[in-house]
Amino acid sequence: MRDMYLITLNELRVTMRNPFWSISGLFQPIIYLLLFGPLLNGIASTRGLPGGNAIQFFAPGLLIMNALFGAGFEGFTLRDKLDSGFLERLRVTPISRLSLALGFIMQSSVNLVIQSVALIVCAFFFGLRLDVLGGVALVFLILLIGITMASISYRLALVIREGGILAGIINTFVLPAMILSGIMLPVSFGPPIIQWLARIDPFLYAVNASRALVTGTLADSSVLAAFLVFGALAALTLAIFIHGMREAVA
Amino acid sequence: MSAASIIHTEKLSKRFPGRKKEVVEAVREIDLDVARGEIFGLLGPNGAGKTTTMRMLCTLLVPSGGTATVAGFDLASQANEIRKHIGYVGQKGGLEQVATGRENLMLHAQLYRMGRAEAARRIDALVERLKLESFVDRKAETYSGGQRRILDLASGVINAPELLFLDEPTTGLDPQSRVRVWDEVRGVHEQGTTIFLTTHYLEEADALCHRVAIVDLGRIVALGTPAELKKQIAGDIIALNYDDENGAAAASRLLEGNALVLEKHLAGATLQVYVDHGDEALPAVLRVVGQGQHPAKTVQLSRPTLDDVFLKLTGRSLRDSDAEQKHQAY
Repeated sequence: MRDMYLITLNELRVTMRNPFWSISGLFQPIIYLLLFGPLLNGIASTRGLPGGNAIQFFAPGLLIMNALFGAGFEGFTLRDKLDSGFLERLRVTPISRLSLALGFIMQSSVNLVIQSVALIVCAFFFGLRLDVLGGVALVFLILLIGITMASISYRLALVIREGGILAGIINTFVLPAMILSGIMLPVSFGPPIIQWLARIDPFLYAVNASRALVTGTLADSSVLAAFLVFGALAALTLAIFIHGMREAVA
Repeated sequence: MSAASIIHTEKLSKRFPGRKKEVVEAVREIDLDVARGEIFGLLGPNGAGKTTTMRMLCTLLVPSGGTATVAGFDLASQANEIRKHIGYVGQKGGLEQVATGRENLMLHAQLYRMGRAEAARRIDALVERLKLESFVDRKAETYSGGQRRILDLASGVINAPELLFLDEPTTGLDPQSRVRVWDEVRGVHEQGTTIFLTTHYLEEADALCHRVAIVDLGRIVALGTPAELKKQIAGDIIALNYDDENGAAAASRLLEGNALVLEKHLAGATLQVYVDHGDEALPAVLRVVGQGQHPAKTVQLSRPTLDDVFLKLTGRSLRDSDAEQKHQAY
């Protein structure tokens, strides 16, 4: 446990020293908020969109997108640590592989929560109304998504040496996952094949749940579905990452 | 195994999957004994299996075959015990670049279960002993190659290990920094730490190591003190250079059957004569070849280097083999 905190604290210190990545990670969602949000306002009365206020529709999706992309690209920080020999140096100390893996996950989780809170504060200025209890539940959901994405991303980084290939692989999965989740536009706009594909995209449930949680409808069926799906995915991917850390030859 | 061995291996092997179902035998059944208190070197070209061997002994790579004990613990079943007793400095070092040297050392000390106060004392002692004052509180990304190496070394001995592994400790360093690293390695050794290093520099093996194993294609091809290894080469080499081939050939005929000559080799206008005790043999050889009509233009007496040993054992020069890079070492 102590080892895990040591790694987490060290990683957070590194992030603080070089906050550029953390802050630049927020640029993308903020630009969407600034430039894409107003576009949605123009079609807010269209069927399929919640009447009137596009921010209530769009901001919850952005929070999920930030988790999807932000944590999804965490693998690059691990890649750097492999390349610099830092991870190798840690692996010859008596630290357990479990603590090492959890330390990295903790760091990415703390980072993601800070980013999400910053994003929610931004969205307030655009008129977001947030239910307190729903907001807390949403942060937990974002954490589960973050653990899932970071675990996958870290695991890939352990085996893929080439940064460009790593980026390509992550993008190949992250981009369709984002579009099919209905973050940008409701999936109901699309043909049946798109709607069918969206149903196997776990992020569709997350985005729906996020929208429900923002308004405080905790009992919405999408909320339970999202927590179940991402609870299971987080556990599974974390186990895969920890196993990878034990086996890793890097 | 001998009780004094700090490293003992039997048939230690590592195979990697290569391209197209091909298997790369990086390390082939290596038997090794390293005694407590020595500086032991693995010398060989890139891709010879030195780093792979070291990474297995450091618990970073799981062997494909064979057994080993390191610092008295079984490699297969007691890796975590081994980790407590060894230090390791890899080729890449492994400093956190945006943290200061002191912060890096503190993290590592704490990972070895030292409390903050104890760690701070240990770091202060290392700062003094390794003369780190001038840069230890700067971020690691600002360090010169030599400073980085010395800090890597400090990090490697933070837990006062019985056994320190150094993977190519001076690769890429300028000559001055190299000598500094050698001095500090000797200093660590004087504190009672056994040192196991890999190198592809002959001078490094010669200058630093008590015993050297020459490794090629995953096997140990020779083992001994640098002096013993060099003795395997038939004595010293006297090179007689003539104006043309006739002169060299005539000198070769004059030395035919001479008791001093162990071996001779004619190469164009140069005659290479292998003798024992070159310093004593040189005047005698010159007297004999001086009886001919062709005077020698120049004469060189050279002692064999570890490169000559490598050349004799493998048929290739250590420097040529470097370029081959048959397979990656990790």
